[in-house]
Amino acid sequence: MLTVKDVSVSYQKLRVVFDVSLHVTPGEVVVVVGRNGAGKTTLFRTIGGFLKKDKGSIQFKGQEIGNLWAYEVALMGLKYIQQDKQVFSDLTVREHLELGSYATKDRNWEPVLDHFPKLRTLMDRKGGNLSGGEKQMLLIAMALLGKPSLVLMDEPTEGLAPHVVNEMKDSIKRIRTETTLMIIEQNLPLTAEVADRVYAMKEGKIVAEIVDKKEIKDLAFEKYL
Amino acid sequence: MNFLKRIPGPFLLLVLVIVARYLFPNKMTFIVEIMMFSIYIMGNDILYGYMGMVSFGQPFYLGVGAYTAALYLAYLGHDPLVAMLLAIVSGAVVALILGPIYIRLRGDYFALINAATCAIGLFLVEKPLLKITRGDDGLWYRTRMQPEWFFDLRQPAQFFWFAVIILAIVLFLYRWLDRSALGAAFRGIKVNEGKMKFLGYNTFALRWIGYGFACILAALSGSLYAINFGFVNPSITEPGRAAEALVATLLGGAGTVYGAFFGTVAFLGIKDLVSTFFTRWEFAVGVLTMLVCFFLSKGVWGFLNELIEKKKRKASPV
Repeated sequence: MLTVKDVSVSYQKLRVVFDVSLHVTPGEVVVVVGRNGAGKTTLFRTIGGFLKKDKGSIQFKGQEIGNLWAYEVALMGLKYIQQDKQVFSDLTVREHLELGSYATKDRNWEPVLDHFPKLRTLMDRKGGNLSGGEKQMLLIAMALLGKPSLVLMDEPTEGLAPHVVNEMKDSIKRIRTETTLMIIEQNLPLTAEVADRVYAMKEGKIVAEIVDKKEIKDLAFEKYL
Repeated sequence: MNFLKRIPGPFLLLVLVIVARYLFPNKMTFIVEIMMFSIYIMGNDILYGYMGMVSFGQPFYLGVGAYTAALYLAYLGHDPLVAMLLAIVSGAVVALILGPIYIRLRGDYFALINAATCAIGLFLVEKPLLKITRGDDGLWYRTRMQPEWFFDLRQPAQFFWFAVIILAIVLFLYRWLDRSALGAAFRGIKVNEGKMKFLGYNTFALRWIGYGFACILAALSGSLYAINFGFVNPSITEPGRAAEALVATLLGGAGTVYGAFFGTVAFLGIKDLVSTFFTRWEFAVGVLTMLVCFFLSKGVWGFLNELIEKKKRKASPV
């Protein structure tokens, strides 16, 4: 589904991602772990079309997407949910979903709201008045409209209360039955619970790929961080 | 008062305009100016209020519409309606040509490129195009204008009704825009453009569309000025008047359906009232703008709207 090959990315002259190669196959949950500054977000932003690569190729569903604009990548069915958890403060939850529907022509909100039933009760609340967890739910809900093939989530549980993290974990387990997920996550126990495969990143490079489920459960990837 | 809720807001506003015209018959010219200017401000509000793009060059687009209509009426034809349609087309053409270049610029650069365009526009009509625009003397063509089959737009009383119809069309379209996904997308761009891209929106195209609407509304407003006065001179495109659009937008309440109208009423109202006592009416506008900035950040309409919402919440405490 997604094949990243020898991708390098720089901020002006400073290279931060070096010859990264990875792949994602349909139906899996791939988690990318690494310390702050390892290049995870830069890699996701590049795959999502928000940054341009220096070299290498990014293929999604057999098509090169490395030179496409972010909105074109999103319309192809690859959604990148940023780390910032920012929503539109002046728009209501309903308006957020309408925006998502308008772009993707998907007006059926029911499957998405089934994943996040709480949003049904918040329809008329403005984005600026939502909690961090509610904002994250809304962002994922918007991303799921249009039934994307692959959703990239950048630290979806960062800064959330423990009980919200648990809710998010359950949501991820439900969502994975419908779409492929690639997640950046610092919460290692959560990673161990949801990941099918783990890539460890360090100093802009992939330093390990862990495929063994037992190793993932035992947090064996921790030694690469 | 419940029946008022069922009446569309633009309709109420138009009734207000018509009632004012008959309550203050000697203020008809002023009321007509409010209608024409508010269309111009609505254009600026799409740019500034909805999309967060400040422009210091709106008089240029106003001038494009005014001069297109004026040049047609002075040299080519006699029909004011055709002049107005040509002005709308000229606004769209300007947006098509300049849009892809200008909207790549952000923040202060966008504001300044428009200011520069406005200065260039003024220079063009005053110097290189002097022979056809007649420079500071302006173009006079009222006697060349012919009546339409339904209105004689040379007659102020009939032009009033024509302006009411145009304002009605623009207001209803504006309300539709505000409530549509396109309006929400414009607001989305203002708050977080990256998030709009994540949703699959071509934000470049959206900003181009918004800029196009602003150009077209300014040109339409300019053509109404040209038809109403039967005269156009370069003062309409003075760069120094760029602040007028921003101040009126701010006074009314940026990014709201009726803010542009109420901002226009406040701005022109102060200008009309204060200038009868002091020459420098700008002083009063300046003080009021400061007060709005500090105490009424949502403008006059935003403030009224909040009061209405509070009243609604009190009436139905769920």
